[in-house]
Amino acid sequence: MVHIAGQEHLEEHPRVNYFAIFVALCVCTAISVVVDIVEITPLLLVFLVLAVAVAKALFVLTYFMHLKFEGRWKFIVLSPTAILAAGLMIAMSPDLAMHYYTNEAPQARAARDAASGLNPPPPQGEAEQMAPGQKAH
Amino acid sequence: MSHSAASHGAAAHGHPSHAPALRMGLPISNAKLGMWLFLGTEIMFFTAFIGSYIVLYFGSPGWPTDTNVTHIKIWAGGTNTFVLLTSSYFVVLAHEAMAQGQYRRAWNFMAMTFLCSCLFLGIKGVEYYGKFDHRILPGIIPETELQSVRMLRDDWKERMDSQLNALIPGKDPLHVKQATLISEIEEAKGARKEKMQAWADLNVAFSKYRDEISANKHTLASAEKLMFDLRNQATVKVGDHEQSGVYVTPAIIKSVHSHAAETHTAGHIEHDAAGREISREASDVGLHLPELKSGQVAISDSQGNWETLDSKAVRSPKMKYAGLLGSVSLRHPIVYGNLFASTYFLMTGFHAIHVIVGMILFITVLAQGRNLSDKWSNWVENTGLYWHFVDLVWIFLFPLLYIIPGNI
Repeated sequence: MVHIAGQEHLEEHPRVNYFAIFVALCVCTAISVVVDIVEITPLLLVFLVLAVAVAKALFVLTYFMHLKFEGRWKFIVLSPTAILAAGLMIAMSPDLAMHYYTNEAPQARAARDAASGLNPPPPQGEAEQMAPGQKAH
Repeated sequence: MSHSAASHGAAAHGHPSHAPALRMGLPISNAKLGMWLFLGTEIMFFTAFIGSYIVLYFGSPGWPTDTNVTHIKIWAGGTNTFVLLTSSYFVVLAHEAMAQGQYRRAWNFMAMTFLCSCLFLGIKGVEYYGKFDHRILPGIIPETELQSVRMLRDDWKERMDSQLNALIPGKDPLHVKQATLISEIEEAKGARKEKMQAWADLNVAFSKYRDEISANKHTLASAEKLMFDLRNQATVKVGDHEQSGVYVTPAIIKSVHSHAAETHTAGHIEHDAAGREISREASDVGLHLPELKSGQVAISDSQGNWETLDSKAVRSPKMKYAGLLGSVSLRHPIVYGNLFASTYFLMTGFHAIHVIVGMILFITVLAQGRNLSDKWSNWVENTGLYWHFVDLVWIFLFPLLYIIPGNI
């Protein structure tokens, strides 16, 4: 394959004011920190910080990684991974938010027992306590 | 492949014999295509981690979120976010300088990027040290009171053995060394005799504790009190006679209260059946400590009654077991602490590995020194793409690990 020095990487793109992008990213980070400090409802907080994170990611992808100026190949290369990544989150959502059952882990149960005055907790076999993963008798 | 279709199309028509036969693939270099495909797999790689973390977090009522318990330092995460953003900015300037043929300038920006990556790892190191120091590590965090009291037994046993080995060196089994120690106490002199006697006495307390654990008689509070009493057991001179007991000063009481506020109450956020938080009052966790003014100390008698004394009247307090016990202490349970530590180290650890790989890429460019030339342009561009991705991952890790848990 013939290599012509300097040709491959010189895809022309308009000049970007990288410093402005950098400032925008810093402002976004500052917003995250401010959201952390001020008292707002948890739902709003989660929404805001994730929105800021997405905005920052878009700044980096669009300008620092030059996706704005790349050809249409970017969609071919990146859409499978984007779809699969989103699919993974959707596939996990039944465990994430939509399960009908309550969680019954031994340590959560023990904490609940201790909180409701069942202290000391009922006797349990040593092995089952010290070796996580073993089933209770 | 190397030839750009747009700029060479006309020339190809004019000289068909010199034109490449086929122009296939994408109008970008193979290396850049390879990098983008690699970053595509990386997106899925980190999505799997982050997705698992979110599933585990929300599927685990009582997940540790208090920064006093998890030792998550928001200032460190925030500073590192800024450091990575700055390095991302520098690396894009390095790429731009390469494209303009300003190789010296490009080298300088690369060097600044490298320094930023070092700073990032340094701050990460401080954070990791805090985790190691407080033993927030996967697999070794007690999650129930029972595990806590048993972990104290195991830590204590290990400490007793190491102290026994220090007192009686040699290759004998521990039970033989123990018999040797008992028989040698009488002949020993001075500090060694005192230490041997203290070990023997502490071993009696330990054996009792071990038996009580087997009989399931200990709770977190009783183990806490036992440890406190042993650690502060002292002999003091009051006037012309000696007095032994649990010896406390205002400083000790203050540290107990601040420790209780930090780890006991905060570390003990529990949830009732409906998922509501049940918090406990910050207290001296049942130690029944006396109230002391500054300039006062207190010593307990064998019944546990406190005698308050003027600190000037008490001379040369000698702690009996504090040295032997070393750093052995009761660790409070952290529900889901192990899962938290696993996910934390998995995500930040893999991110840190990516940072280290990026540093190797930077060093390769920096090693060219004044020989940095146009043929490195592709390398710098791809390194930049990779580094921006590392920044991108951190952009999501920062809110998910640092900001959200502390606020919901």
